[in-house]
Amino acid sequence: MKRSNILMGLAIVLILISLGAWGYQLHKGLIVTNMRNSFSWGLYIATFAFFVGVAAGGLIVSSSVYLFNIEKLKPFTRIASLSAFASILGAGAMIFPDMGRVERVWKIFVHPNFTSPLVWDVIVITAYLIITFLSVYVQLLPDWRKEGRGFFNNWTKKRSQEEIEVLSKKWSKRVALIGLPVAILIHTVTALIFATQGSRGWWNTAVMPPDFVSVAVASGTALVMVISLLTVGKEKFYQYEEAFQTMALIVAGALVVHFFFVTVDLLVHGWWGKPEANEILSLVFGRYGLLYATELLLPAFTMIFFFTKRGKGSFKTLMIGSILLFIGVFVHRMMLMFPAFNAIPLTLAIPGAGIESWAYPIALGQFSEGMPVFVNTWDYAPTLVEYAVALLPFGLVLFVVTAALRMYDFLPQKRVGKHLASKIEQAKAPKGIDFT
Amino acid sequence: MRLGMVIDLDRCIGCRSCAVACKSHNAQPPGTWWNRVFTPGSTFHQAAVGKAGALQMNFLPVSCQMCDNPPCQKVCPTGATYTDERGVVLIDYERCIGCRYCFAACPYGVRQFNWEDPKKAKERVGYKEGYEYGYPVDFRDKEGRLVFTPDRPAGVAEKCTFCVQYTANGEEPACTRGCPGKVRIFGDLDDPNSEVSKLIGKRPSYRLKEELGTSPKVFYLAPTKPIR
Ligand code: SF4
Ligand code: SF4
Repeated sequence: MKRSNILMGLAIVLILISLGAWGYQLHKGLIVTNMRNSFSWGLYIATFAFFVGVAAGGLIVSSSVYLFNIEKLKPFTRIASLSAFASILGAGAMIFPDMGRVERVWKIFVHPNFTSPLVWDVIVITAYLIITFLSVYVQLLPDWRKEGRGFFNNWTKKRSQEEIEVLSKKWSKRVALIGLPVAILIHTVTALIFATQGSRGWWNTAVMPPDFVSVAVASGTALVMVISLLTVGKEKFYQYEEAFQTMALIVAGALVVHFFFVTVDLLVHGWWGKPEANEILSLVFGRYGLLYATELLLPAFTMIFFFTKRGKGSFKTLMIGSILLFIGVFVHRMMLMFPAFNAIPLTLAIPGAGIESWAYPIALGQFSEGMPVFVNTWDYAPTLVEYAVALLPFGLVLFVVTAALRMYDFLPQKRVGKHLASKIEQAKAPKGIDFT
Repeated sequence: MRLGMVIDLDRCIGCRSCAVACKSHNAQPPGTWWNRVFTPGSTFHQAAVGKAGALQMNFLPVSCQMCDNPPCQKVCPTGATYTDERGVVLIDYERCIGCRYCFAACPYGVRQFNWEDPKKAKERVGYKEGYEYGYPVDFRDKEGRLVFTPDRPAGVAEKCTFCVQYTANGEEPACTRGCPGKVRIFGDLDDPNSEVSKLIGKRPSYRLKEELGTSPKVFYLAPTKPIR
């Protein structure tokens, strides 16, 4: 069986599992998750934030081609846009199962409350979805014109192939340049959903939006790299070696910035020594220490690895580094939730009793035999249903990317450069992954 | 008009009558509490805390603080959470999409979610057949927003409404009426002659998490218990 068929099959299975679980959740209510009143966002929002993050890569890669003239990356602008489109689609889809009443979501458009960062996130994510779609579309137009395929392209028939080529080039650049600020905005606004909340010490820092951008540049570029590696295949790796090294450097560089932000963030949280901040840090380094170590160490490894010749030098090392990074970033997103919700905002000092910080218990919203109703901490761990529902964006991204890669040519050979032309001829026979 | 409440902690005996009155008048399902009373510093309610033999035991009732600068309202994407003309923060149960952003925003842990259909939750605990509690009919505000209904739809947020179904008609909230110690005083903060305004002017008062700038309209009179 063709590799792409297997991947398509897998994507469909993931989507079906998720929809099935979502159906069950719709029937029973969000009680089937492990979220409760004191811990009201969990895996879904973390997964959403993860996919918003990886959606950055597309526009970062294509706009660096145009803005900074990194010609080496040019062959991958199509894949980059595709990865961005698929990821933001996945992110958008993930939001819906988190809603208590998903059938009312349209009310956001009828009665938008513009002080809510969530409304702005809906706006920028929709804009990004459109822009990344357009970006893929204008880049594929010349091929479609030539092969007489594609959609929304009746209008191109009246024009010559050359006209369309010129038009495609011009608009690819324009879309990439408009897209870049929007790409930065989706991370900024998504981070602002959290960072604006004065009630949650773990979130309430101005460093969160820029840190989201840095993590997004790292993980988004890594996703473009992984898809590109799979498309190119091991055999032809050397043809694009320079491009991959550039991407690896972007990943590593962005991670340096990320760790800088992490350090100042921790220092500002910790230095003053407020009881509330101490509480958060004890959650971060104590109870959730293992997760936090994962969040720090895996990306740190990738960062160092991608700076070395060996790390950025081969198909395998780039794949390993990227996958470790994805795991680290996913944990990072989960770690947005744990310390934030397990540090109850309403704390009191009782000086007479020598108590600096006492958390006022919150009602869970569920009564069940043998379980307390009022808690000041909640051991959130996603339920099986939650894991199943959260497969949705993974399935969607896999589906969209695989389907697009097998239908259209996302790696135009002619852009590789003349001196490689002969090598391409040789390489034509053995393909990496057969997406056709 | 800005409706507010003064809670005189000097008089509170921690009996939790207000929490129970609130719960039953507002038909809250099992596990959901709009109003809580705890003993600050203690793991158990009604257990004293202290050190070196100097024990103390005070009680602190907490429900929606009716913030004048309500983060829950500012984050609400649909405007389901709003402040009415009397300064009461309310939720339109027909507009809430259940995003739970307000849960992350509220510093007081007062927001409660309908994780499942409340009817099912009530059924499961095994009340007597046909037993129903709470104000039995819907209540809508002047613009027709559904701000009280005995069984809230599954998947929406709820919280204290200052008993909108009563106070909109000039009555007092259930907690205020149900308190045996006359701890709670309800009234208009804009009216300088109201009892709430006078008390705040006369006695040292504080609000919870004042430093967050939410400007609650619930004021606490400190438990002074002079012993010197
Ligand atoms: S106490 Fe919480 S729910 Fe009530 S108005 Fe303030 S922020 Fe909103
Ligand atoms: S859960 Fe309902 S009330 Fe709360 S922010 Fe979302 S839509 Fe508004």
